Amino acid sequence: MIDWSFLIEVLQKLLAGLPLTLQLTGFSLLIGFILAVIVAAAAASRIRVFRWVANCHVELFRGTPLLVQIFLIYYGLGQIPELRQSFLWPFLREPYWCAVLALALNTSAYTAEIIRGAVQAVPAGEIEAARACGMSGFLLRRRIIWPIALRQGLPVYGSEIILMIKGTSLASIITLNEVTGIAYKLISSTYRIFEVFIVTGALYLLVTALTGLAISLIERRLNVHHAYRRT
Amino acid sequence: MTAVIRSVTNASPVNQAISVQGLHKFYGSFEVLKGINFDAAEGEVISILGASGSGKSTFLRCLNLLEMPSAGHLRIFGEQVNLKPGEVNLRIGDRKQIDRLRTQVAMVFQNFCLWSHMTILQNLIEAPVHVQRRNKAEVREEAEAMLERVGLQDRANYYPAQLSGGQQQRAAIARALVMKPRVLLFDEPTSALDPELVGEVLKVMRDLAAEGRTMLIVTHEMAFARDVSSRILFLEKGQVGAEGSPSELFGGGVSERFDQFVSRFNEG
Amino acid sequence: MTMGITELLGFGPQGWGMPLLSAAGITLVAATGGFLVGSLLGLCGAALKLSRTPALRWIGNFYTTFFRGIPEILIVYLFYFGGSVVLTKIMNLGGLPGFFSLPALLIGVLAIGVVSGAYQTEAYRTAFMRLDRGQLEAGSACGMSRFLLLRRIIAPQTLRFALPALGNIWQSVLKETALLSVIGLTELLRQAGTAAGSTREPLLFYGVAAVMFLVIGRITGFFIARTEKHLAKAWSR
Repeated sequence: MIDWSFLIEVLQKLLAGLPLTLQLTGFSLLIGFILAVIVAAAAASRIRVFRWVANCHVELFRGTPLLVQIFLIYYGLGQIPELRQSFLWPFLREPYWCAVLALALNTSAYTAEIIRGAVQAVPAGEIEAARACGMSGFLLRRRIIWPIALRQGLPVYGSEIILMIKGTSLASIITLNEVTGIAYKLISSTYRIFEVFIVTGALYLLVTALTGLAISLIERRLNVHHAYRRT
Repeated sequence: MTAVIRSVTNASPVNQAISVQGLHKFYGSFEVLKGINFDAAEGEVISILGASGSGKSTFLRCLNLLEMPSAGHLRIFGEQVNLKPGEVNLRIGDRKQIDRLRTQVAMVFQNFCLWSHMTILQNLIEAPVHVQRRNKAEVREEAEAMLERVGLQDRANYYPAQLSGGQQQRAAIARALVMKPRVLLFDEPTSALDPELVGEVLKVMRDLAAEGRTMLIVTHEMAFARDVSSRILFLEKGQVGAEGSPSELFGGGVSERFDQFVSRFNEG
Repeated sequence: MTMGITELLGFGPQGWGMPLLSAAGITLVAATGGFLVGSLLGLCGAALKLSRTPALRWIGNFYTTFFRGIPEILIVYLFYFGGSVVLTKIMNLGGLPGFFSLPALLIGVLAIGVVSGAYQTEAYRTAFMRLDRGQLEAGSACGMSRFLLLRRIIAPQTLRFALPALGNIWQSVLKETALLSVIGLTELLRQAGTAAGSTREPLLFYGVAAVMFLVIGRITGFFIARTEKHLAKAWSR
C-alpha cells in the first residue's frame, strides 16, 4: 500500500539538497554570530549613537519577516548603481550570497539579544568577587563573564540554530536548490504531495533532532559543575 | 592599640591600613552614609556593628570601591586613592591603582560568590595567577596548603555547587588568603549560613585574628565580635554611633544607643 | 525616475498607496484568522498533552514536535497542493470534473493556524502548569462545579500567564503571513512585489513593506503589552 520505492526516490533526491541547506545554515550562523557580537557590544556601549544603531538593527531584523529581508537584498540591492559597480556585485547578484547575507543579518539580531540576556544573567556576586580581587577589563570578561554567559546562553542559542535550519527553506524562493526547493519541484511535478511532505518533514526533523542532541551534549560537558549531587 | 577616642585616631599614618574622611554616600536622594571619619591601623580586628539600614555593608564596600562614595577621601596603606567627581557619585580616577590596591584588600562576601564554573582549587589560584601574575606552580602549592588550613583539602577538585554553605565560605576565605592580602574585609560572612554551619567559619576567622591579621568585619555575631575584636565600630543611621574597645562598649554606659542595640539583639 | 516617491506611494491613479493598504488589511485578516485557528488547536493540544492517557499525550507531543520542527513554508505547500488534490478528488467524485483549488486566504489561515497551534499548545500548557493548585482546591471546597471552576478560575488565570508567550506568537504569525505571498495571496509582500515589478523600484516598495510590517507589529504589540500590564496589576497580590 505504501509506495516505498517512491519514498526512497524522494529521499535520495532530497538528500542531494542537504549539503546546500547545511552550508547556508553554517555560513549564516558563523557570519551572523560575528555580527551579533559587534551589535551586542554596540548596544552596551556608552556612545549613544552606537546604542541607537544597534537597537535599530535589532528592531528591524526581528520585526520584519525573513522573506521580506531576503527580497529586499536579492531584488533591492541590485537597484543601487554604486553596488552594481563595486567589487561586491559578483557576490550580491548570486542568490546564494544574497540568501547567506539575509539569513546572517536576521540571525545576528536575534543572537545579539541572546548574548545580551546571557551576559545579564551572570550572577552579579561572582562579577563583584572578581573585581574585588583586582580583575577588570578584558581579563574580567575573558575569565569570568564570558564563560558563565556562554553556559547561560547555550540552550537559547540552540533554539536559534534550529530556527536557522528552518529559515534556509526560504532560499528556495529565490531559486536555490536546497531541500525545500527540491521538495517543491517534486510536488509540483508529481502532485504526490502527502508522500513528498512526509519524507521532507522527516528529513528536517532528523536534522533538527541531531542538532538538538549535539547541543545537549555540549551543554552537558560545559555544565559538569552542576552534574553532581551535593556532598 | 586600645584607642578610647571617639573619632580621630592617634595612630600615625605609617601603619594605618585604611583611612576614610568625610565619607558620604547617596542612593538617589537617600543619604546612606552621612559623613564618616574612620581609621583602621594594621593588626587591628575591627567589628562593624549596627542595625539593618545603618549603612555598615555600604561602608565596608566603599572601602574597596565596590560601592562608589558620593564624597570623601580614602587612603589605603598611606596611598591616597585617586577619585574624580562624577555625575552622581565619585568615579575611579586610576583604574590600575584600584586593581593593584584590591589585590591587597581581599573581601569575603555574604553569599560566598565563588566562581561557579571553576573548581575550588581553580577559584583559589585564579586571581593570584592572572591578576598578580605569580608563578602557577607556586600558587597551586600555596592554595593546597590554604585549603588544608581551612579543612577543605579533600574538596579541591569539587565545584562550589557541590559544597555546603559553610564549606563554600571557608573556601572563599581561603581564596582571599591566597592573594596574600594586607587587609581582609568580611561582609556579613555568616549571615547566609544555616546556624549549625556558622561555627566552622567563625573558627577560621578566630584563627586569622589570633595571627594578627588586619580584619574589618561587618557582622551580627555579637559574642564573636566581643571576643575577637580589638575595636568595635557601631554605625547608626549612616553615622558613627559609638567606637571603642569591646570591653568598654559591651560593658555598658558608654553609648546609650549601643546599649539599646545590644539589648534588643539579645531579646531576639 | 519618471514619478516621484510621493506619487508612487500616493493614492492617485498611479499611486500604490491604496493597494498596499488593502493588502496590509489582508495581512491582518490572515494573521488574525490564523491566530484564532491556532488558539483552538492550541487549547486542544494542551489538553492532549496534559491528559492522563499516554496515547493522547503522545498525539499531543507528535503535533508539537512535528509542526514546530518543520519549515513553515512546507506546511503552506502542504495545504496548498494537498488542499487542491483533496478538493479536486471530492468534486470529481461528486461528478464535477476539472481542477479545483481552495481560496488562498483559507489555505493561509489553515496553514498558519496549524503551525501557530503547535506553539500555542506549549504556551497554554506551561501557563496551566503554573496555576496555584491551592486556589483550585479552595474553589472545589466551596462547592464550585468543574465547569464553573474552569470558567471563573482556570481560564482567566491561564490566559494571564500565557499572555506574554501568546504575544510573541502573534508577532510570529504576523510575519508568517508573508509566506502566503508564495501561493498567490495578495497580502502585503506580494502587493509590494507586484508594485516593485511594475515600477522597477524594488528597494522602495520592499522597504515600504518592511516598514509597514514594523508599524503593524509595533501597534499590535503596544495593545498586547497594555493588556498584560492591566491584567498583571489587577490580579497580582
